[in-house]
Amino acid sequence: MKIIEKAIKEGKTTLSEYESKQVLAAYQIPVTREILVNDVKDLMNATQEIGYPLVLKGCSAEITHKTEKGLIKVDIRNDDDATVAFKEIMANMNGNENAVLVQEMVKGQRELVIGLTRDAQFGPCVMFGLGGIFTEILKDISFRVAPLEKRDALEMMHDIKGHRILEAVRGMEAADLDALADILIKVGQIGLENEKVKEIDINPVLISGSKPVAVDALVVLDL
Amino acid sequence: MKKMANMKTLFDPGSVAVIGASDKQAKLGFHVMKSLTKGGFTGRIIPVNPGSHEIMGLKAFPAIADHDGQVDLAIVVLPAKLVPGVFRECADKGVKGIVLITAGFKEIDDLAGADLHEELAGIANEAGMPVIGPNTFGMVNLHADLNASFTPEFSQVKKGGICLVSQSGGISHLLAFMAMRMDVGFSKIVGLGNRLNVDFAQMLEYLMDDPDTKVIVLYVEGVDEPRDLIEATRKLRGRKPIIAYKTGSGTVGDQASLSHTGSMAGRHDIYTGAFRQAGILYTNSTENLLDAAKAMASCPIPGGPGMAVLSGQAGPGMASCDLCEAAGLKIVRFTGKTQQRVNELLPPLALRTNPVDMGPAWYDSSAIEGIIQAVMDDDNVNGILILMMFASANVDAVKGISDLLVKWAQGKPVISCIQSPPGIWDEQIRALEESGALVNYPTPERAARAMAALWEYSKIKDRMEQD
Repeated sequence: MKIIEKAIKEGKTTLSEYESKQVLAAYQIPVTREILVNDVKDLMNATQEIGYPLVLKGCSAEITHKTEKGLIKVDIRNDDDATVAFKEIMANMNGNENAVLVQEMVKGQRELVIGLTRDAQFGPCVMFGLGGIFTEILKDISFRVAPLEKRDALEMMHDIKGHRILEAVRGMEAADLDALADILIKVGQIGLENEKVKEIDINPVLISGSKPVAVDALVVLDL
Repeated sequence: MKKMANMKTLFDPGSVAVIGASDKQAKLGFHVMKSLTKGGFTGRIIPVNPGSHEIMGLKAFPAIADHDGQVDLAIVVLPAKLVPGVFRECADKGVKGIVLITAGFKEIDDLAGADLHEELAGIANEAGMPVIGPNTFGMVNLHADLNASFTPEFSQVKKGGICLVSQSGGISHLLAFMAMRMDVGFSKIVGLGNRLNVDFAQMLEYLMDDPDTKVIVLYVEGVDEPRDLIEATRKLRGRKPIIAYKTGSGTVGDQASLSHTGSMAGRHDIYTGAFRQAGILYTNSTENLLDAAKAMASCPIPGGPGMAVLSGQAGPGMASCDLCEAAGLKIVRFTGKTQQRVNELLPPLALRTNPVDMGPAWYDSSAIEGIIQAVMDDDNVNGILILMMFASANVDAVKGISDLLVKWAQGKPVISCIQSPPGIWDEQIRALEESGALVNYPTPERAARAMAALWEYSKIKDRMEQD
């Protein structure tokens, strides 16, 4: 893939969130609608294109842990707030590649993680688990070796202890398991078809209504 | 492929040479000779040692070439540096397969060991000789009375349907000794060692068509080509149950990793996922491994998760019910007909619905027989757990139900925990197990867990057959 080749040529070991999601989107994995902007004029066009409420994120391949660095502003509802948030984020980026990602704000209470790791013996392996802050705390995860068949994908979702989160609970719709299975299969396929992709984190995958959407993503490369 | 055809001869040879045979007890070659001769092997045994004319009453030869007849299997117990020469002699002689007990190849720090390993693999592959080892205790084919290991006592393991394929000599010995105490029968015990050209995948391919093996048990530490193992397992399509135990459950991932996925991906988690994917039943202890294998070797597969729990005393029944439910089995409601029959046989004060507390009928073996019979015929019931503790006044209880159980011969799986002080019911239980009437375990929890393993395999088989 071109994005990957370009990053490797530039000696980057990670893709930015925007680039990572382009890789996912190329494999038909549903991602948030988003536009990368560099100035206020582009920002205004983007806010109009996507529509409020919005999320603004500092976007750079060099910066991880965006929340801790004040680079994420959520629930932005009008042009004034968007402009203020844009300027703050640009200031907080201190000299890193300056760009801000204007992103639709996906609503959903259920956060999942889907990932890829390249094991020395097994090759690309796909991970599924509880996402967001629970990923590290609960480590409720399961793995399968790529390529995954649909059955593998469905079973690995059922393997985690918290699998009932996917059912219709507390007034929420049941998660679309076919759509989730499709993402798991595609992530494995990215690993099989792109030797240079070392790891992928899609965290969180939000369940919006019943549909999964990749809200944040990170692709790690092997130079 | 020639190598695979030769696997049959490797495990069922007509003639066996021991290269490095010895009559000195301090040498491994002595113990290998003892294993072969005391193990009752009926084929020809050919000791090879340039320094002896006779070993254990058998004519010894200076080299394998000096023996005129065919040699099917060569067991090699010589220092590592002599092994390449011996491999060439074996290839020239037309030996079909080798058990290489010698250590000191890839596993040592010295790079020369790895080179030697490659050299041996080259010779063996060219000649189409499958090699068990190096760095192994050897292998045993109990049905052929062939003990090609340095542990003569392996021959005392009962003949049965379980084949153990193991990466650890220690675990193999442990499981074999446990099997002797639990009266569990094995078909083969194979120590893969450092896997020159026979790895788990090749063993599975061979065992798929081995008529003596009904259940395959794997002890895994780490596999070089795990994808081959998954492929080989998928080809089996659930025809024979494969149960695995893997040690090294540390969940340490790659700490230097930049992603959560990378840092959380412990090898163990990946193995567990891969085993599930391949249709391998995964267990987490040597005890569970052997318990599950024992049930699978002797029980039919349950057609569903519905269990009937029949106990002589309420407590053991409750213990097994708890475990059943946690493991996905269901303590079902009996049909009206069954319930009516049970109600006729038990007084109202007893727990008459499932689990059935047969205590009040404890001294009336015909009532117990009647309850078991009713439950056997119940369509809601896919498997039966029987839990009976000895009491002085019910010494005849096992005898009372034996005829019925033997006649029924596990129309559905029957797993029990029938316990008495040592020596009282042991022989009767053994007879029931040997007749195929039930499979017995020392605790209600282990009995329930073994039943749950049967149900797990039933689901795996269904799934694999659909592929």
